[in-house]
Amino acid sequence: MRGSLIKKLVYIILISVFLGLLGWLFIALIPEPPLTELEQASRAVSQARDNNSVIYSARLFREAQSYYDSAMTSWQTENNRFILFRDYERVKMFAALSQKKAAEARKNTIVRANGMRLSLETETARLNAEIAAFEKVFLSLPLPQETVKKHARGKLLLREAEIDLNKGQYVSGNVKVTEANEYISSSYTYARKILEDYYTGYNRWQELVRATVDESRMSGSYAIVIEKIPGLCHLYHAGKKRYTFEAEFGSNWIGDKVNGGDMATPEGRYEVTKKLSGGSTKYHKALLINYPNKQDIEEFKYRVQNGHLPSDARIGGLIEVHGDGGKGGNWTEGCVALRNNDMDVVFRHSKPGTPVTIVGSTITLEEYLSAGK
Amino acid sequence: MKNRFFLVVATVAAVALMTSCGKVPQANIDAAVAAIDSAKTMQADIYLPGDFAALNDSLTVINQAVEAQKSKLFKNFKDVKVKADALAVVAGELAGKAVVKKDEVKAEAETLMTQAKALLEENKTLIAKAPKGKEGKAVLDEIKGEVTVIETSLTEAQTIFDAGTNYMQVLDKVKAANEALTAINTELKDAIAKVRR
Repeated sequence: MRGSLIKKLVYIILISVFLGLLGWLFIALIPEPPLTELEQASRAVSQARDNNSVIYSARLFREAQSYYDSAMTSWQTENNRFILFRDYERVKMFAALSQKKAAEARKNTIVRANGMRLSLETETARLNAEIAAFEKVFLSLPLPQETVKKHARGKLLLREAEIDLNKGQYVSGNVKVTEANEYISSSYTYARKILEDYYTGYNRWQELVRATVDESRMSGSYAIVIEKIPGLCHLYHAGKKRYTFEAEFGSNWIGDKVNGGDMATPEGRYEVTKKLSGGSTKYHKALLINYPNKQDIEEFKYRVQNGHLPSDARIGGLIEVHGDGGKGGNWTEGCVALRNNDMDVVFRHSKPGTPVTIVGSTITLEEYLSAGK
Repeated sequence: MKNRFFLVVATVAAVALMTSCGKVPQANIDAAVAAIDSAKTMQADIYLPGDFAALNDSLTVINQAVEAQKSKLFKNFKDVKVKADALAVVAGELAGKAVVKKDEVKAEAETLMTQAKALLEENKTLIAKAPKGKEGKAVLDEIKGEVTVIETSLTEAQTIFDAGTNYMQVLDKVKAANEALTAINTELKDAIAKVRR
Protein backbone atom coordinates (compact mmCIF):
# COMPACT_ATOMS: atom_id res chain seq x y z
CA MET A 1 0.00 0.00 0.00
CA ARG A 2 2.80 2.34 1.01
CA GLY A 3 4.97 1.20 -1.93
CA SER A 4 2.21 1.90 -4.40
CA LEU A 5 1.78 5.42 -2.97
CA ILE A 6 5.49 6.13 -3.39
CA LYS A 7 5.30 4.75 -6.92
CA LYS A 8 2.36 7.08 -7.70
CA LEU A 9 4.24 10.05 -6.26
CA VAL A 10 7.31 9.30 -8.38
CA TYR A 11 5.12 9.05 -11.50
CA ILE A 12 3.47 12.35 -10.66
CA ILE A 13 6.85 14.03 -10.16
CA LEU A 14 8.23 12.56 -13.38
CA ILE A 15 5.16 13.62 -15.38
CA SER A 16 5.32 17.09 -13.83
CA VAL A 17 8.99 17.45 -14.68
CA PHE A 18 8.30 16.22 -18.22
CA LEU A 19 5.41 18.60 -18.66
CA GLY A 20 7.48 21.42 -17.18
CA LEU A 21 10.32 20.68 -19.58
CA LEU A 22 7.85 20.51 -22.45
CA GLY A 23 6.36 23.89 -21.44
CA TRP A 24 9.81 25.43 -21.08
CA LEU A 25 10.78 24.10 -24.51
CA PHE A 26 7.56 25.48 -26.00
CA ILE A 27 8.14 28.92 -24.51
CA ALA A 28 11.80 28.87 -25.51
CA LEU A 29 10.83 28.14 -29.09
CA ILE A 30 8.50 31.17 -29.34
CA PRO A 31 10.36 33.77 -31.44
CA GLU A 32 11.17 37.10 -29.82
CA PRO A 33 8.90 39.89 -31.22
CA PRO A 34 10.78 42.62 -33.18
CA LEU A 35 9.56 45.42 -30.92
CA THR A 36 12.97 47.06 -30.42
CA GLU A 37 13.62 47.19 -34.17
CA LEU A 38 10.19 48.68 -34.85
CA GLU A 39 10.61 51.23 -32.06
CA GLN A 40 13.97 52.30 -33.46
CA ALA A 41 12.51 52.59 -36.96
CA SER A 42 9.51 54.63 -35.86
CA ARG A 43 11.76 56.91 -33.79
CA ALA A 44 13.99 57.47 -36.83
CA VAL A 45 10.96 58.25 -39.02
CA SER A 46 9.63 60.70 -36.42
CA GLN A 47 12.99 62.43 -36.20
CA ALA A 48 13.13 62.70 -39.98
CA ARG A 49 9.62 64.15 -40.01
CA ASP A 50 10.51 66.63 -37.27
CA ASN A 51 13.52 67.96 -39.17
CA ASN A 52 11.25 68.61 -42.18
CA SER A 53 12.39 65.69 -44.32
CA VAL A 54 8.81 65.59 -45.66
CA ILE A 55 9.69 68.86 -47.41
CA TYR A 56 13.42 68.66 -48.13
CA SER A 57 13.88 64.89 -48.72
CA ALA A 58 10.37 63.87 -49.76
CA ARG A 59 11.40 60.75 -51.73
CA LEU A 60 13.67 59.33 -49.02
CA PHE A 61 11.11 60.11 -46.34
CA ARG A 62 8.36 58.39 -48.33
CA GLU A 63 10.59 55.34 -48.71
CA ALA A 64 11.31 55.29 -44.96
CA GLN A 65 7.61 55.54 -44.19
CA SER A 66 6.76 52.86 -46.73
CA TYR A 67 9.36 50.42 -45.31
CA TYR A 68 7.98 51.07 -41.83
CA ASP A 69 4.44 50.30 -43.02
CA SER A 70 5.72 47.13 -44.68
CA ALA A 71 7.40 46.11 -41.41
CA MET A 72 4.15 46.59 -39.50
CA THR A 73 2.13 44.71 -42.14
CA SER A 74 4.62 41.82 -42.09
CA TRP A 75 4.48 41.74 -38.31
CA GLN A 76 0.68 41.56 -38.40
CA THR A 77 0.86 38.74 -41.00
CA GLU A 78 3.34 36.76 -38.89
CA ASN A 79 1.19 37.22 -35.79
CA ASN A 80 -1.67 35.52 -37.59
CA ARG A 81 0.38 32.32 -37.96
CA PHE A 82 0.79 29.59 -35.32
CA ILE A 83 3.03 30.97 -32.60
CA LEU A 84 5.90 28.55 -33.19
CA PHE A 85 5.90 29.05 -36.96
CA ARG A 86 6.34 32.84 -36.82
CA ASP A 87 9.41 34.32 -38.48
CA TYR A 88 10.17 38.00 -37.88
CA GLU A 89 13.21 38.24 -40.16
CA ARG A 90 11.33 40.13 -42.91
CA VAL A 91 9.84 42.45 -40.29
CA LYS A 92 13.32 43.18 -38.97
CA MET A 93 14.65 43.68 -42.49
CA PHE A 94 11.92 46.23 -43.34
CA ALA A 95 12.42 47.98 -39.99
CA ALA A 96 16.17 48.23 -40.63
CA LEU A 97 15.56 49.60 -44.13
CA SER A 98 13.07 52.13 -42.75
CA GLN A 99 15.56 53.25 -40.12
CA LYS A 100 18.32 53.53 -42.74
CA LYS A 101 16.19 55.55 -45.17
CA ALA A 102 14.94 57.81 -42.37
CA ALA A 103 18.53 58.48 -41.30
CA GLU A 104 19.48 59.21 -44.92
CA ALA A 105 16.48 61.54 -45.25
CA ARG A 106 17.50 63.35 -42.08
CA LYS A 107 21.09 63.75 -43.22
CA ASN A 108 20.02 64.82 -46.70
CA THR A 109 17.56 67.31 -45.20
CA ILE A 110 20.27 68.98 -43.15
CA VAL A 111 22.43 69.39 -46.26
CA ARG A 112 19.53 70.54 -48.46
CA ALA A 113 18.01 72.89 -45.91
CA ASN A 114 21.41 74.46 -45.33
CA GLY A 115 21.89 74.81 -49.07
CA MET A 116 18.46 76.36 -49.47
CA ARG A 117 19.04 78.69 -46.54
CA LEU A 118 22.35 79.81 -47.98
CA SER A 119 20.84 80.27 -51.43
CA LEU A 120 17.93 82.21 -49.93
CA GLU A 121 20.28 84.43 -47.92
CA THR A 122 22.47 85.06 -50.97
CA GLU A 123 19.52 85.77 -53.24
CA THR A 124 17.78 88.12 -50.80
CA ALA A 125 21.04 90.02 -50.30
CA ARG A 126 21.65 90.21 -54.06
CA LEU A 127 18.11 91.33 -54.79
CA ASN A 128 18.20 93.93 -52.02
CA ALA A 129 21.37 95.33 -53.60
CA GLU A 130 19.68 95.27 -57.01
CA ILE A 131 16.68 97.12 -55.56
CA ALA A 132 18.97 99.74 -54.00
CA ALA A 133 20.84 100.16 -57.30
CA PHE A 134 17.58 100.40 -59.23
CA GLU A 135 16.24 103.04 -56.89
CA LYS A 136 19.45 105.04 -56.97
CA VAL A 137 20.20 104.76 -60.68
CA PHE A 138 17.02 104.16 -62.59
CA LEU A 139 14.25 105.69 -60.54
CA SER A 140 14.81 109.10 -62.08
CA LEU A 141 14.36 107.67 -65.59
CA PRO A 142 10.96 108.20 -67.21
CA LEU A 143 9.97 104.55 -66.73
CA PRO A 144 6.52 103.24 -67.60
CA GLN A 145 4.25 102.82 -64.56
CA GLU A 146 4.11 99.09 -65.34
CA THR A 147 7.87 98.79 -64.78
CA VAL A 148 7.68 100.75 -61.54
CA LYS A 149 4.85 98.44 -60.38
CA LYS A 150 6.83 95.33 -61.32
CA HIS A 151 9.70 96.59 -59.24
CA ALA A 152 7.37 97.26 -56.29
CA ARG A 153 5.78 93.80 -56.63
CA GLY A 154 9.24 92.21 -56.56
CA LYS A 155 10.13 94.24 -53.49
CA LEU A 156 7.03 93.06 -51.62
CA LEU A 157 7.65 89.42 -52.57
CA LEU A 158 11.21 89.79 -51.36
CA ARG A 159 9.91 90.94 -47.98
CA GLU A 160 7.68 87.85 -47.83
CA ALA A 161 10.69 85.69 -48.72
CA GLU A 162 12.68 87.31 -45.91
CA ILE A 163 9.88 86.48 -43.45
CA ASP A 164 10.04 82.85 -44.64
CA LEU A 165 13.83 82.91 -44.22
CA ASN A 166 13.51 84.07 -40.63
CA LYS A 167 10.90 81.38 -39.94
CA GLY A 168 13.11 78.68 -41.47
CA GLN A 169 10.63 78.04 -44.31
CA TYR A 170 13.28 77.82 -46.99
CA VAL A 171 11.22 76.08 -49.67
CA SER A 172 8.45 78.66 -49.82
CA GLY A 173 11.08 81.38 -49.32
CA ASN A 174 12.96 80.16 -52.37
CA VAL A 175 9.75 80.03 -54.41
CA LYS A 176 8.99 83.64 -53.46
CA VAL A 177 12.54 84.82 -54.04
CA THR A 178 12.48 83.26 -57.52
CA GLU A 179 9.28 85.11 -58.31
CA ALA A 180 10.66 88.30 -56.79
CA ASN A 181 13.78 87.90 -58.92
CA GLU A 182 11.66 87.78 -62.07
CA TYR A 183 9.96 91.06 -61.22
CA ILE A 184 13.04 92.85 -59.91
CA SER A 185 15.37 91.64 -62.64
CA SER A 186 12.94 92.31 -65.46
CA SER A 187 12.35 95.89 -64.28
CA TYR A 188 16.12 96.32 -63.77
CA THR A 189 16.87 94.89 -67.22
CA TYR A 190 14.23 97.07 -68.84
CA ALA A 191 15.50 100.22 -67.14
CA ARG A 192 19.11 99.37 -67.98
CA LYS A 193 18.17 98.76 -71.62
CA ILE A 194 16.60 102.21 -71.79
CA LEU A 195 19.78 103.71 -70.41
CA GLU A 196 22.03 101.63 -72.67
CA ASP A 197 20.04 102.65 -75.74
CA TYR A 198 20.26 106.25 -74.64
CA TYR A 199 24.00 105.97 -74.11
CA THR A 200 24.57 105.08 -77.77
CA GLY A 201 24.82 108.85 -78.22
CA TYR A 202 27.69 109.12 -75.75
CA ASN A 203 30.48 109.77 -78.32
CA ARG A 204 28.45 112.54 -79.93
CA TRP A 205 27.78 114.08 -76.50
CA GLN A 206 31.52 114.06 -75.78
CA GLU A 207 32.29 115.81 -79.07
CA LEU A 208 29.59 118.42 -78.50
CA VAL A 209 30.82 119.24 -74.99
CA ARG A 210 34.49 119.33 -76.09
CA ALA A 211 33.67 121.66 -78.98
CA THR A 212 31.65 123.97 -76.72
CA VAL A 213 34.36 124.15 -74.03
CA ASP A 214 37.04 124.73 -76.72
CA GLU A 215 34.95 127.51 -78.19
CA SER A 216 34.61 129.12 -74.75
CA ARG A 217 38.37 128.79 -74.22
CA MET A 218 39.26 130.32 -77.59
CA SER A 219 36.77 133.16 -77.38
CA GLY A 220 37.29 133.74 -73.65
CA SER A 221 33.54 133.93 -73.26
CA TYR A 222 30.80 132.07 -71.36
CA ALA A 223 29.18 128.82 -72.48
CA ILE A 224 26.43 126.72 -70.96
CA VAL A 225 26.70 122.90 -70.88
CA ILE A 226 23.69 120.94 -69.64
CA GLU A 227 23.78 117.24 -68.68
CA LYS A 228 20.44 115.47 -68.48
CA ILE A 229 21.32 112.25 -66.61
CA PRO A 230 22.90 113.84 -63.55
CA GLY A 231 20.55 116.82 -63.98
CA LEU A 232 23.22 119.50 -64.02
CA CYS A 233 23.85 122.85 -65.72
CA HIS A 234 27.51 123.99 -65.95
CA LEU A 235 28.56 127.51 -66.71
CA TYR A 236 31.99 127.72 -68.36
CA HIS A 237 34.12 130.80 -68.78
CA ALA A 238 37.21 130.81 -71.00
CA GLY A 239 37.11 127.02 -71.11
CA LYS A 240 36.95 126.64 -67.33
CA LYS A 241 33.95 125.40 -65.34
CA ARG A 242 32.86 128.24 -63.07
CA TYR A 243 29.45 127.16 -61.77
CA THR A 244 27.39 123.99 -61.58
CA PHE A 245 23.66 124.06 -60.78
CA GLU A 246 20.92 121.47 -60.51
CA ALA A 247 18.61 121.40 -63.53
CA GLU A 248 15.19 119.95 -64.36
CA PHE A 249 13.84 118.92 -67.75
CA GLY A 250 10.79 117.79 -69.65
CA SER A 251 8.97 114.81 -68.13
CA ASN A 252 10.01 112.64 -71.09
CA TRP A 253 13.61 113.78 -70.76
CA ILE A 254 15.47 110.69 -71.90
CA GLY A 255 16.38 110.99 -75.58
CA ASP A 256 16.31 113.85 -78.05
CA LYS A 257 13.28 116.00 -78.79
CA VAL A 258 11.46 114.63 -81.84
CA ASN A 259 8.42 116.87 -82.18
CA GLY A 260 6.33 119.49 -80.43
CA GLY A 261 4.36 118.24 -77.43
CA ASP A 262 6.57 115.18 -76.80
CA MET A 263 7.66 116.64 -73.44
CA ALA A 264 11.30 116.00 -74.35
CA THR A 265 14.19 118.41 -73.93
CA PRO A 266 16.21 118.79 -77.16
CA GLU A 267 19.84 117.64 -77.35
CA GLY A 268 22.58 119.29 -79.39
CA ARG A 269 24.45 122.54 -79.87
CA TYR A 270 22.24 125.61 -79.48
CA GLU A 271 22.73 129.25 -78.60
CA VAL A 272 20.84 131.92 -76.74
CA THR A 273 18.64 133.93 -79.10
CA LYS A 274 16.86 136.15 -76.60
CA LYS A 275 17.00 137.10 -72.93
CA LEU A 276 13.62 137.40 -71.24
CA SER A 277 12.92 138.94 -67.85
CA GLY A 278 10.31 141.00 -66.02
CA GLY A 279 6.91 140.63 -67.61
CA SER A 280 8.18 138.90 -70.73
CA THR A 281 8.49 135.46 -69.03
CA LYS A 282 6.42 133.71 -66.38
CA TYR A 283 9.44 131.73 -65.16
CA HIS A 284 11.41 134.43 -63.32
CA LYS A 285 14.03 134.87 -66.08
CA ALA A 286 14.57 132.94 -69.29
CA LEU A 287 17.05 132.40 -72.10
CA LEU A 288 15.32 131.45 -75.32
CA ILE A 289 17.44 129.10 -77.46
CA ASN A 290 17.42 128.43 -81.18
CA TYR A 291 15.48 125.17 -81.13
CA PRO A 292 14.75 123.95 -83.75
CA ASN A 293 18.16 124.47 -85.36
CA LYS A 294 19.03 123.45 -88.91
CA GLN A 295 19.84 119.86 -87.94
CA ASP A 296 16.62 119.51 -85.93
CA ILE A 297 14.57 120.70 -88.92
CA GLU A 298 16.31 118.21 -91.24
CA GLU A 299 15.79 115.33 -88.85
CA PHE A 300 12.15 116.30 -88.33
CA LYS A 301 11.50 116.42 -92.07
CA TYR A 302 13.21 113.05 -92.52
CA ARG A 303 10.98 111.48 -89.84
CA VAL A 304 7.82 112.89 -91.39
CA GLN A 305 8.85 111.74 -94.88
CA ASN A 306 9.62 108.24 -93.64
CA GLY A 307 6.34 107.98 -91.76
CA HIS A 308 7.99 107.95 -88.33
CA LEU A 309 5.92 110.99 -87.53
CA PRO A 310 2.41 111.84 -88.79
CA SER A 311 2.23 114.38 -91.60
CA ASP A 312 0.48 116.92 -89.37
CA ALA A 313 3.19 116.69 -86.66
CA ARG A 314 4.73 119.96 -85.43
CA ILE A 315 8.40 120.41 -84.67
CA GLY A 316 7.71 122.60 -81.63
CA GLY A 317 9.74 125.50 -80.31
CA LEU A 318 10.06 128.11 -77.56
CA ILE A 319 12.62 126.06 -75.70
CA GLU A 320 14.20 128.03 -72.88
CA VAL A 321 16.58 127.79 -69.99
CA HIS A 322 14.41 129.39 -67.32
CA GLY A 323 13.84 129.87 -63.59
CA ASP A 324 11.23 128.43 -61.21
CA GLY A 325 13.19 125.18 -60.96
CA GLY A 326 13.94 123.20 -57.81
CA LYS A 327 10.50 121.55 -57.85
CA GLY A 328 12.00 118.11 -57.95
CA GLY A 329 11.60 115.70 -60.81
CA ASN A 330 11.33 116.66 -64.42
CA TRP A 331 8.22 118.68 -64.91
CA THR A 332 8.74 121.11 -67.82
CA GLU A 333 7.33 120.68 -71.31
CA GLY A 334 10.84 120.47 -72.77
CA CYS A 335 12.62 123.49 -71.28
CA VAL A 336 15.50 123.46 -68.80
CA ALA A 337 14.50 124.80 -65.38
CA LEU A 338 16.95 126.17 -62.79
CA ARG A 339 16.37 127.55 -59.29
CA ASN A 340 15.80 131.32 -59.45
CA ASN A 341 19.09 132.19 -57.69
CA ASP A 342 21.00 129.95 -60.09
CA MET A 343 19.10 131.37 -63.04
CA ASP A 344 20.16 134.87 -61.98
CA VAL A 345 23.83 133.83 -62.30
CA VAL A 346 23.37 132.14 -65.67
CA PHE A 347 21.23 134.99 -66.94
CA ARG A 348 23.80 137.60 -65.86
CA HIS A 349 26.63 135.94 -67.79
CA SER A 350 24.67 135.09 -70.92
CA LYS A 351 23.88 137.09 -74.01
CA PRO A 352 22.45 136.31 -77.41
CA GLY A 353 24.92 133.98 -79.09
CA THR A 354 26.08 132.28 -75.85
CA PRO A 355 26.43 128.57 -76.67
CA VAL A 356 23.99 126.22 -74.94
CA THR A 357 24.93 122.56 -75.37
CA ILE A 358 22.51 119.96 -74.07
CA VAL A 359 23.70 116.32 -73.81
CA GLY A 360 22.85 113.12 -71.96
CA SER A 361 25.95 112.88 -69.82
CA THR A 362 29.69 113.48 -69.74
CA ILE A 363 30.39 110.36 -67.68
CA THR A 364 30.28 106.85 -69.14
CA LEU A 365 27.46 104.42 -68.50
CA GLU A 366 29.79 102.18 -66.45
CA GLU A 367 30.83 105.12 -64.28
CA TYR A 368 27.22 106.09 -63.81
CA LEU A 369 26.09 102.55 -62.94
CA SER A 370 28.99 101.91 -60.58
CA ALA A 371 28.20 105.18 -58.80
CA GLY A 372 24.74 103.72 -58.08
CA LYS A 373 26.05 100.45 -56.63
CA MET B 1 -15.38 15.33 -5.89
CA LYS B 2 -14.58 18.48 -4.02
CA ASN B 3 -11.08 18.64 -5.65
CA ARG B 4 -12.51 18.22 -9.15
CA PHE B 5 -14.94 21.05 -8.51
CA PHE B 6 -12.10 23.38 -7.48
CA LEU B 7 -10.05 22.33 -10.53
CA VAL B 8 -12.93 23.22 -12.87
CA VAL B 9 -13.49 26.57 -11.13
CA ALA B 10 -9.78 27.40 -11.27
CA THR B 11 -9.59 26.50 -15.00
CA VAL B 12 -12.65 28.60 -15.85
CA ALA B 13 -11.26 31.54 -13.85
CA ALA B 14 -7.86 31.27 -15.56
CA VAL B 15 -9.45 31.11 -19.03
CA ALA B 16 -11.72 34.05 -18.19
CA LEU B 17 -8.74 36.05 -16.95
CA MET B 18 -6.67 35.21 -20.01
CA THR B 19 -9.43 36.00 -22.50
CA SER B 20 -10.46 39.23 -20.81
CA CYS B 21 -6.89 40.63 -21.05
CA GLY B 22 -6.09 38.97 -24.37
CA LYS B 23 -8.51 40.86 -26.59
CA VAL B 24 -7.35 43.87 -28.65
CA PRO B 25 -9.23 46.95 -27.36
CA GLN B 26 -10.21 47.86 -30.91
CA ALA B 27 -13.04 50.14 -29.85
CA ASN B 28 -10.65 52.19 -27.71
CA ILE B 29 -8.07 52.36 -30.51
CA ASP B 30 -10.77 53.36 -33.01
CA ALA B 31 -11.91 56.09 -30.62
CA ALA B 32 -8.33 57.40 -30.41
CA VAL B 33 -7.99 57.37 -34.22
CA ALA B 34 -11.32 59.17 -34.54
CA ALA B 35 -10.17 61.78 -32.02
CA ILE B 36 -6.96 62.33 -34.04
CA ASP B 37 -9.02 62.70 -37.24
CA SER B 38 -11.23 65.18 -35.46
CA ALA B 39 -8.16 67.17 -34.35
CA LYS B 40 -7.02 67.24 -37.99
CA THR B 41 -10.44 68.45 -39.06
CA MET B 42 -9.97 71.29 -36.57
CA GLN B 43 -6.68 72.03 -38.40
CA ALA B 44 -4.47 71.05 -35.46
CA ASP B 45 -1.90 69.98 -38.09
CA ILE B 46 -1.74 73.62 -39.30
CA TYR B 47 -2.03 75.56 -36.06
CA LEU B 48 -0.31 73.14 -33.63
CA PRO B 49 1.85 70.97 -35.91
CA GLY B 50 4.27 69.80 -33.19
CA ASP B 51 1.50 68.60 -30.88
CA PHE B 52 -0.33 66.98 -33.76
CA ALA B 53 2.80 65.06 -34.78
CA ALA B 54 3.11 63.85 -31.17
CA LEU B 55 -0.42 62.38 -31.42
CA ASN B 56 0.60 60.35 -34.45
CA ASP B 57 3.73 59.18 -32.65
CA SER B 58 1.57 57.97 -29.76
CA LEU B 59 -0.67 56.09 -32.16
CA THR B 60 2.40 54.43 -33.67
CA VAL B 61 3.50 53.31 -30.19
CA ILE B 62 0.01 51.87 -29.55
CA ASN B 63 0.05 49.93 -32.83
CA GLN B 64 3.46 48.55 -31.96
CA ALA B 65 2.26 47.57 -28.49
CA VAL B 66 -0.73 45.75 -30.00
CA GLU B 67 1.49 43.68 -32.28
CA ALA B 68 3.98 43.11 -29.46
CA GLN B 69 1.20 41.63 -27.31
CA LYS B 70 -0.11 39.58 -30.21
CA SER B 71 3.35 38.08 -30.54
CA LYS B 72 3.20 36.76 -26.98
CA LEU B 73 1.72 33.52 -25.70
CA PHE B 74 -0.10 35.24 -22.88
CA LYS B 75 -1.52 38.49 -24.26
CA ASN B 76 -2.29 41.46 -22.11
CA PHE B 77 -3.76 44.56 -23.75
CA LYS B 78 -4.47 46.42 -20.54
CA ASP B 79 -1.65 48.86 -21.14
CA VAL B 80 -2.77 49.37 -24.76
CA LYS B 81 -6.28 50.17 -23.58
CA VAL B 82 -5.00 52.72 -21.08
CA LYS B 83 -2.77 54.32 -23.71
CA ALA B 84 -5.55 54.44 -26.33
CA ASP B 85 -7.96 56.05 -23.87
CA ALA B 86 -5.34 58.61 -22.88
CA LEU B 87 -4.59 59.35 -26.54
CA ALA B 88 -8.29 59.92 -27.26
CA VAL B 89 -8.44 62.39 -24.40
CA VAL B 90 -5.27 64.23 -25.49
CA ALA B 91 -6.45 64.34 -29.11
CA GLY B 92 -9.79 65.74 -27.98
CA GLU B 93 -8.02 68.41 -25.96
CA LEU B 94 -5.77 69.24 -28.89
CA ALA B 95 -8.78 69.71 -31.15
CA GLY B 96 -10.06 72.28 -28.65
CA LYS B 97 -6.65 73.97 -28.43
CA ALA B 98 -6.46 74.09 -32.23
CA VAL B 99 -9.76 75.96 -32.35
CA VAL B 100 -8.46 78.44 -29.75
CA LYS B 101 -5.14 78.85 -31.59
CA LYS B 102 -6.95 79.32 -34.89
CA ASP B 103 -9.09 82.03 -33.31
CA GLU B 104 -5.95 83.69 -31.94
CA VAL B 105 -4.24 83.64 -35.35
CA LYS B 106 -7.44 84.88 -36.96
CA ALA B 107 -7.66 87.74 -34.46
CA GLU B 108 -3.98 88.59 -35.00
CA ALA B 109 -4.45 88.52 -38.77
CA GLU B 110 -7.54 90.69 -38.43
CA THR B 111 -5.72 93.23 -36.23
CA LEU B 112 -2.75 93.35 -38.59
CA MET B 113 -5.08 93.69 -41.56
CA THR B 114 -6.87 96.61 -39.90
CA GLN B 115 -3.51 98.21 -39.10
CA ALA B 116 -2.32 97.67 -42.65
CA LYS B 117 -5.47 99.20 -44.11
CA ALA B 118 -5.19 102.21 -41.81
CA LEU B 119 -1.51 102.61 -42.75
CA LEU B 120 -2.43 102.30 -46.41
CA GLU B 121 -4.95 105.12 -46.13
CA GLU B 122 -2.55 107.25 -44.06
CA ASN B 123 0.18 106.73 -46.66
CA LYS B 124 -2.18 107.80 -49.44
CA THR B 125 -2.86 111.02 -47.53
CA LEU B 126 0.83 111.54 -46.84
CA ILE B 127 1.68 111.07 -50.53
CA ALA B 128 -0.54 114.04 -51.32
CA LYS B 129 1.26 116.13 -48.70
CA ALA B 130 4.77 114.91 -49.53
CA PRO B 131 7.30 117.50 -50.69
CA LYS B 132 8.77 117.31 -54.14
CA GLY B 133 12.42 117.79 -53.35
CA LYS B 134 15.27 116.65 -55.57
CA GLU B 135 14.07 113.59 -57.47
CA GLY B 136 10.93 113.89 -55.35
CA LYS B 137 8.52 113.15 -58.15
CA ALA B 138 10.32 109.99 -59.18
CA VAL B 139 10.42 108.78 -55.59
CA LEU B 140 6.73 109.60 -55.16
CA ASP B 141 5.91 107.71 -58.35
CA GLU B 142 7.82 104.73 -56.99
CA ILE B 143 6.00 104.98 -53.66
CA LYS B 144 2.64 105.26 -55.41
CA GLY B 145 3.47 102.13 -57.43
CA GLU B 146 4.50 100.33 -54.27
CA VAL B 147 1.34 101.36 -52.43
CA THR B 148 -0.80 100.08 -55.32
CA VAL B 149 1.01 96.73 -55.26
CA ILE B 150 0.61 96.45 -51.47
CA GLU B 151 -3.08 97.25 -51.82
CA THR B 152 -3.43 94.37 -54.29
CA SER B 153 -1.53 92.07 -51.93
CA LEU B 154 -3.86 93.07 -49.07
CA THR B 155 -6.87 92.31 -51.25
CA GLU B 156 -5.41 88.84 -51.91
CA ALA B 157 -4.83 88.39 -48.17
CA GLN B 158 -8.44 89.44 -47.50
CA THR B 159 -9.66 86.79 -49.96
CA ILE B 160 -7.67 84.06 -48.16
CA PHE B 161 -8.91 85.44 -44.83
CA ASP B 162 -12.54 85.33 -45.96
CA ALA B 163 -12.09 81.74 -47.17
CA GLY B 164 -10.89 80.89 -43.63
CA THR B 165 -8.74 77.98 -44.83
CA ASN B 166 -5.36 79.10 -43.52
CA TYR B 167 -4.96 82.20 -41.37
CA MET B 168 -1.22 81.49 -41.00
CA GLN B 169 -0.80 82.27 -44.71
CA VAL B 170 -2.75 85.50 -44.25
CA LEU B 171 -0.51 86.43 -41.32
CA ASP B 172 2.69 86.08 -43.40
CA LYS B 173 1.26 88.13 -46.26
CA VAL B 174 -0.08 90.89 -44.03
CA LYS B 175 3.15 91.04 -42.00
CA ALA B 176 5.12 91.68 -45.19
CA ALA B 177 2.61 94.31 -46.31
CA ASN B 178 2.73 95.98 -42.89
CA GLU B 179 6.53 96.11 -42.92
CA ALA B 180 6.51 97.69 -46.37
CA LEU B 181 3.78 100.17 -45.42
CA THR B 182 5.58 101.13 -42.20
CA ALA B 183 8.81 101.76 -44.14
CA ILE B 184 6.90 103.97 -46.62
CA ASN B 185 5.13 105.74 -43.78
CA THR B 186 8.43 106.55 -42.06
CA GLU B 187 9.98 107.69 -45.35
CA LEU B 188 7.05 110.01 -46.07
CA LYS B 189 6.87 111.40 -42.53
CA ASP B 190 10.63 112.05 -42.49
CA ALA B 191 10.42 113.86 -45.82
CA ILE B 192 7.51 116.02 -44.61
CA ALA B 193 9.25 116.77 -41.29
CA LYS B 194 12.45 117.86 -43.08
CA VAL B 195 10.53 120.42 -45.08
CA ARG B 196 8.81 121.80 -41.97
CA ARG B 197 12.12 122.27 -40.10
